[in-house]
Amino acid sequence: MLFSIILILLLFAWFGAPLFTLILSVAIVGFTFQEIDLTVIPIELYRLTNTPLLLALPLFTFTGYLMGASNTSHRLVRLSSALLGWLPSNLVLVTLFASALFTAFTGATGVTIVALGALLYPALKESGYTEKFSLGLITTSGSLGLLLPPSLPLILYVVIVQQMDLDQTISIEQVFLAGILPTLLMIMTLFAWSLWQTRHKPIKRESFSTHEFLSALRESIWEIPLPFIVLGGIFSGVFAVSEAAAVTALYIIIVEVFIYKEVTLKQLPKIIEESMTMIGAILLILASALAMTNYFIDAEIPFLLFEWIQSHISSQVTFLLLLNLFLLLLGALLDIFSAIVIMSPLIVPIAINFGVHPVHLGIIFLANMQLGYLTPPVGMNLFIASYRFNKSIFDVYRSTIVMMLLLLGCVLLITYIPAISLFFIDS
Amino acid sequence: MIIQLQQFYKKLLQLETFLLVAAFLIVLIIAVTQILLRNLFDTGIVWADTFLRISVLWLGMMGALVASRNNNHIAMNLGQKYLSDKNLIIVKVIIYFFTSLVCFIISWYGLNLVQMEYEEAGIAFANIPVWSTVSIIPIAFLIIALRYLSLSVLLLSGQPVNDNPVMK
Repeated sequence: MLFSIILILLLFAWFGAPLFTLILSVAIVGFTFQEIDLTVIPIELYRLTNTPLLLALPLFTFTGYLMGASNTSHRLVRLSSALLGWLPSNLVLVTLFASALFTAFTGATGVTIVALGALLYPALKESGYTEKFSLGLITTSGSLGLLLPPSLPLILYVVIVQQMDLDQTISIEQVFLAGILPTLLMIMTLFAWSLWQTRHKPIKRESFSTHEFLSALRESIWEIPLPFIVLGGIFSGVFAVSEAAAVTALYIIIVEVFIYKEVTLKQLPKIIEESMTMIGAILLILASALAMTNYFIDAEIPFLLFEWIQSHISSQVTFLLLLNLFLLLLGALLDIFSAIVIMSPLIVPIAINFGVHPVHLGIIFLANMQLGYLTPPVGMNLFIASYRFNKSIFDVYRSTIVMMLLLLGCVLLITYIPAISLFFIDS
Repeated sequence: MIIQLQQFYKKLLQLETFLLVAAFLIVLIIAVTQILLRNLFDTGIVWADTFLRISVLWLGMMGALVASRNNNHIAMNLGQKYLSDKNLIIVKVIIYFFTSLVCFIISWYGLNLVQMEYEEAGIAFANIPVWSTVSIIPIAFLIIALRYLSLSVLLLSGQPVNDNPVMK
């Protein structure tokens, strides 16, 4: 009976049933088997209202959509070029840093490829990089930045863990700090690879132009305060994260609509509608997952799972290796938000039992998911790049594969050296 | 008659969008006002924090409503591309009907919860009773259920539907 229900649900998933209904079905079936009144499910859905941090999600999402709709990407690229142009392989650095920043704020790696790629792909080719390298770099850089504040997946992970009633609690500030060194590691690895690629035929450097720098600075003067409002506000303790999100959202409306005038007041409702539709889809899955997790805990499934895993695996290293494999597969199958929401309630308690710090686990989780965007055959960013730059999907595979493997190396380092993630955190 | 109904439905959709946009702006304004009051004047709106926490649920549910207009929900959907046109329609009818059923169930028990809260007569914030803040759950799930039911029925009767998932 139970087996056939699971089979049917998997079949529905395969054929595109909305994920939230599948998650809710698990809860409905599970609670029915345990003879628990199903009113428990709406009670769990209502638990969304218990987390003040959650308000940050719709607000940051809106900010990201609004920035995506204006010319922020142009200004970001211009300023980074003016700032980094005198370095070797400067345009590669510009691509890496600008993409990471843009993704951190918009939370959408695909948008970064489309928005920044349109500017940087032709620029990279023009300055002497091969087509293959340029395409690979743009596609790979798109997913950098998921580990940097205020990226939505990071916030979502903390929301889930905080809901879980664990002995070890984590704060959003810790997770924000934890992502910095891993991101730098990935950026520097890709940068080193680009230097190696062009070692026989160095790309010409620009000389630093104070004039261009000042002019680029003036152009983006209104957006430069953004990271400072968000990070400064949060880490100085002036704002809670959701407050920083509110201030950022209002500030960016003022900047894009009234100062740059790139988005009209009339377009604003459409942007609100689009971003709230997207966040609605995510929150619905989150709420459903809360109900399913409650059933899992009632049925002691995380505990049983841990017992089972422990009877096969005893060392932390083996556990982490299997975790990497599992998450890579997961990242290629599920979008990052659903994967975090559905899987972290199961994985976090087990990982803690194996002695993995929950902050470190969050970074491992997201770093693997980030790689999932690039993993053939179904990584989403590969398709977005193929579509956007009009290349066959196999061209995209070929051009990203080395960088993807380099990032895989980084992910392994991040997994097995906790200090990379926990360096700034004293616990 | 049918044209009038369609126009009426279009008005309803506009109303839904309007409510979603308005809710977002209200949340934004109250959140910022609260921050200003606290940091500049060392005071605050008593009910603002509870209001904001509940409003996330409302924003999420309303967003989910809009997403369900065209089956714009997150799904894995790896298998549909291997189906013939005829089988695709059958599979979609089943999946949409299943989705609708699940949402009806949640809506029903959501109504149950609203009744329970109504009898308890608790206050969420200001003069707003808890049951009214819970009411978004049965309402939203009922509308989502009806939407998927209509997608399913339309497909079954051979009508064209706009259900292509476009997720960013």
